[in-house]
Amino acid sequence: MGNIKDTVFEVIYSILPIALVITALQFTIIWLPMEAFVQFLIGVLFVGIGLILFLLGVNIGLLPVGEMVGSALSKTKKLWVIVLFGFLLGAVVTFAEPDVRVLSSQIDDVSGGAIPQIILIMSVAIGVGIFVALAMFRIVFNISIVYLLAGGYALIFLVAAFAPSSFVPISFDAGGVTTGPLTVPFILALGVGVATVIRGKSASSDGFGLVGLASIGPILSVLILGVIYG
Amino acid sequence: MNLQIFEGFAQTMQEVAIALLPLAILFVIFHFVFLKLPMRKLFDIAIGFILTFFGLAFFLQGVHIGFMPFGEQMGNVLGGMSYKWVLIPIGFTIGFFAIYAEPAVAVMVEQAERVSGGYIPEKLLLYTLSVGVGISVALSMVRLIYGFSLWYFIIPGYIIAFVMVRYSPKTFTTIAFDSGGVSTGPMTATFILAMFTGIAGQIEGRDPLLDGFGMVAMVALAPILSVLTLGILYSRKEKSQYVSDDSGTEAHHHNR
Repeated sequence: MGNIKDTVFEVIYSILPIALVITALQFTIIWLPMEAFVQFLIGVLFVGIGLILFLLGVNIGLLPVGEMVGSALSKTKKLWVIVLFGFLLGAVVTFAEPDVRVLSSQIDDVSGGAIPQIILIMSVAIGVGIFVALAMFRIVFNISIVYLLAGGYALIFLVAAFAPSSFVPISFDAGGVTTGPLTVPFILALGVGVATVIRGKSASSDGFGLVGLASIGPILSVLILGVIYG
Repeated sequence: MNLQIFEGFAQTMQEVAIALLPLAILFVIFHFVFLKLPMRKLFDIAIGFILTFFGLAFFLQGVHIGFMPFGEQMGNVLGGMSYKWVLIPIGFTIGFFAIYAEPAVAVMVEQAERVSGGYIPEKLLLYTLSVGVGISVALSMVRLIYGFSLWYFIIPGYIIAFVMVRYSPKTFTTIAFDSGGVSTGPMTATFILAMFTGIAGQIEGRDPLLDGFGMVAMVALAPILSVLTLGILYSRKEKSQYVSDDSGTEAHHHNR
């Protein structure tokens, strides 16, 4: 029960500040109609209730599941199983992320419908998959994450030089957007699970970095599509 | 009063269900092949998934009916003001506090504290992210008012990041790059983005869509820099402790 109380307070602390800032703006500069403001306050209430349920749920659902899946994979001791499932998990989770669909319709606007939506969603999902697989590889062989990150971003800037300029901001946007509220807890826990089994408890912080690497995939995918279709 | 509270709720629930379903199926497969968990544990996890489902559905609904339309109308008013510079401090404040309410951020800072064994305190990491996102939204406002190209921020930003990586402890480097992806969740990508496109629509010569994307790109970059800065400050503190006081350093070393 203490857990629930803590979460409730945590959520109040996280939502109250932004609600107060907006309320202060409303009554000093903005003065929007009262109706809009009441609607906003109801939204704040929903966000609060939602966040409480979400955090409680993630702590007993997604996080332990991610860690258990990660350690079960590593216990097979087969590199190809770990890397293959890394790819599949990254791709499937991204494919299902609602933000990715929003992104694809926005890209439709920018490119004037040149890129078919399904190709876009597939390539973003494959992009995430490849980088999660690489991240697994990195954890197993203890390769410094700095090389992967530096290589990834160097590649991004190289491809960006050839892509139409309207694709550049949208590709970076893709990198952030695809790592949404369901992907992040799952992938974080997955990485911690794999690292804990393979490299020992003390090295479990090696499991971090998966989200960062996973963000590179979509940026590259969208830029490459820009080069092809742009 | 004409309030629209549950408009589009069915669609939101459907989207969350589609997003959560593959994870649930995957878990069931893993359960039968590898894990073979006891019933009680399965029951807990099922409850966890159900709570996550309703939680995310309510959260997104709140963002869609409350934060997003209000953000856009706010943006319209703010963009029409004659003193454009006030956008900069307002952008900082909103960026700073909006990140508090981002679901993935709450999960990540907690995990970071747990996994690092308290080496990286939850609150400290949260404030570091807040400062980063605040600065990036403020800079995006500068960009919106004066019309700089995104390149002038992004290229130096990533170059500085990779220079800083050389001086930062490894744990901070990984968390820094994770933060970039984590910070751009539904709060930023909908609420701040809606406000931003509202403002951009009021300023001559701006493309709401493209400038909006540029803002998200900046929000993904800034926390990387701020967390790396925190890492460098941490390693400096450790080194100075090494020199002055040998016995007091052990507690700070479980990240190796």
